Amino acid sequence: MDAVIRTEGVSKVFNAGLADEVRAIAAVSIEIPRGRITVFKGPSGSGKTTLLGLIGCMSRPTEGKIFVEGKDVAKLPERFLTNVRRKTFGFIFQHFNLIRGLTVRENVMLPLYPTDIDGRQMERRMEEILDKLDLTAKRAVKVEKLSGGQQQRVAIARAMINEPAVILADEPTAHLDTKLSEDFLNIVTTLNIDGKTIVIATHDPLIYDKPYIDNIIEMRDGAVKETAPL
Amino acid sequence: MKGNGRIIEYALSTLARRKFKNFSVAAVFSVLIAVLSSILFLTHAYKTETLKLLDNSPAIILQNMSGGRHELIPTEYIKTLSGIAGVGQIAPRYWGYYYDSLTSANYTLMAVDEGMQDVKLIEGRMPQTDTECAVGRGVADLRQAGLKDDFFLITGAEQSVNLKIVGIFTANSAILTNDLVVMTKDGLVKFFNMPADRATDITIEVNNPAEVSMVARKIRHAFPNSRPILKSELIRTYDNIFNWRGGIVLTMFFGAIAAFMIFVWDKATGINAQERQEIGILKAIGWETSDVLTLKFWEGAVVAICSFFTGLILAYVHVFYFNAQFLAPVLKGWSVLFPRFEPMPYIDIYQIFVLFFLTVVPYVAAGVVPSWKAAISDPDVVMR
Repeated sequence: MDAVIRTEGVSKVFNAGLADEVRAIAAVSIEIPRGRITVFKGPSGSGKTTLLGLIGCMSRPTEGKIFVEGKDVAKLPERFLTNVRRKTFGFIFQHFNLIRGLTVRENVMLPLYPTDIDGRQMERRMEEILDKLDLTAKRAVKVEKLSGGQQQRVAIARAMINEPAVILADEPTAHLDTKLSEDFLNIVTTLNIDGKTIVIATHDPLIYDKPYIDNIIEMRDGAVKETAPL
Repeated sequence: MKGNGRIIEYALSTLARRKFKNFSVAAVFSVLIAVLSSILFLTHAYKTETLKLLDNSPAIILQNMSGGRHELIPTEYIKTLSGIAGVGQIAPRYWGYYYDSLTSANYTLMAVDEGMQDVKLIEGRMPQTDTECAVGRGVADLRQAGLKDDFFLITGAEQSVNLKIVGIFTANSAILTNDLVVMTKDGLVKFFNMPADRATDITIEVNNPAEVSMVARKIRHAFPNSRPILKSELIRTYDNIFNWRGGIVLTMFFGAIAAFMIFVWDKATGINAQERQEIGILKAIGWETSDVLTLKFWEGAVVAICSFFTGLILAYVHVFYFNAQFLAPVLKGWSVLFPRFEPMPYIDIYQIFVLFFLTVVPYVAAGVVPSWKAAISDPDVVMR
């Protein structure tokens, strides 16, 4: 099986050496298969979000190696790490982390601002994504005026604008009702069909009980309890 | 528009999103710049104006000293002075001070001399008879007197001397003439009861400007009790009075600088949680540290540059349109009467550049440093 991401003995310690030191995850070795939907399952505090952040190059491990597309990124300088993050990953955060005061259009295009992509190409890409996610009519609306489900779709659009190979979602249904959660899963499966690798950290059975989930990594107390390729 | 252009566009939209905060910051910044610039504009305008007026001063003013104090000078010195090589035109000057108990103010009384006939800064004319006088704007205002009005002075013998005002110095010359009363030589000598063979001081021109110091040394040698005051010394004295580094101006200037530094320090010591989170989001979605710094640079630069020029404009209007209403009393305190001086708009570009680098650069840096600290941290740490 071709792994897009692989970790070897990854640990993450917060506040190392201080009285409030926390070992969030310890010696985690996993593989994320390319083009599949993988779920990190586990209760709150099990280390799912930390592991998601580590494989998405959002933070560095205290120990261990993380291979993205075969390259060890754990020790990469910040500049190169940003490059990997920009080109490989799209993030959907638990609280969406949209920038208030900006419109849907501006939030979605934000990842492309520092790039050299031509403005017309940016607009075209943005229009296509908004169309796919049924957000075209909301393009000029400020994000704080949108419903939770709409905000999440904006977050998905922003994650897709860089055309990343991997979409990472942290507790994506935590603030959604069942209907909106189903809508989210429909979008995710469409993305997966389009060839994206999807990694979701969740403790919502609505997600990990779905038949189309390819791989479940169960976590508890910062360690992998069980890996279950389905 | 690519890369940096879009980051600048985003910086502008960020400023607009936090318009109340940024407007408040810009307002404080502008006021501080206005205070600092007003001090620089006003002192420079005073200095330039005064130095321009001193252009017509004699190369040397010779005073007689007795017991370390200025005494009347014998006019017979003129004969010896004219024998010194290099000395040009020599003229005695007659002047003194007068306390006016009516207005509780001191006036400077001066005899009209030949050079004064050419003074253009006057409304009316110079006095020609012992019963005429020309007065400074401040004196005229204090006495509520105008052209052709009577003007009386009380002599030591409790008798009054009645004069007619035939000229009033215009406001443009107020810095030197505000407290001045110009009379004829005979009228002034009589008023002060000065001995006929004495003058207040003697003005001396020197044919070759490069020889002024040497001529002054020769005069001092010829008259050991005299004190030659060089024009260059006068210029230096005025320069020190008006220089922004001098005395009370220095205190005000550094007070404003200190306020500005506190303002900058407050900015440099941290960014709020929302800004930190936003930096984390930008990093998480693929912005490099340098992109974040570019953003923060432009945010700071736009606020600082706009505030700087707003402050400059405010200072310009304050100093040159409203005659520095808030600052002038402080700076004009050396004069007995506060002149109603209207500063001419002389601006020292060098001072503006210095002010720019002392204010805009630290402010922009103060905005970038805490953002840099946040930007080099891992995005998920910043967002937590």
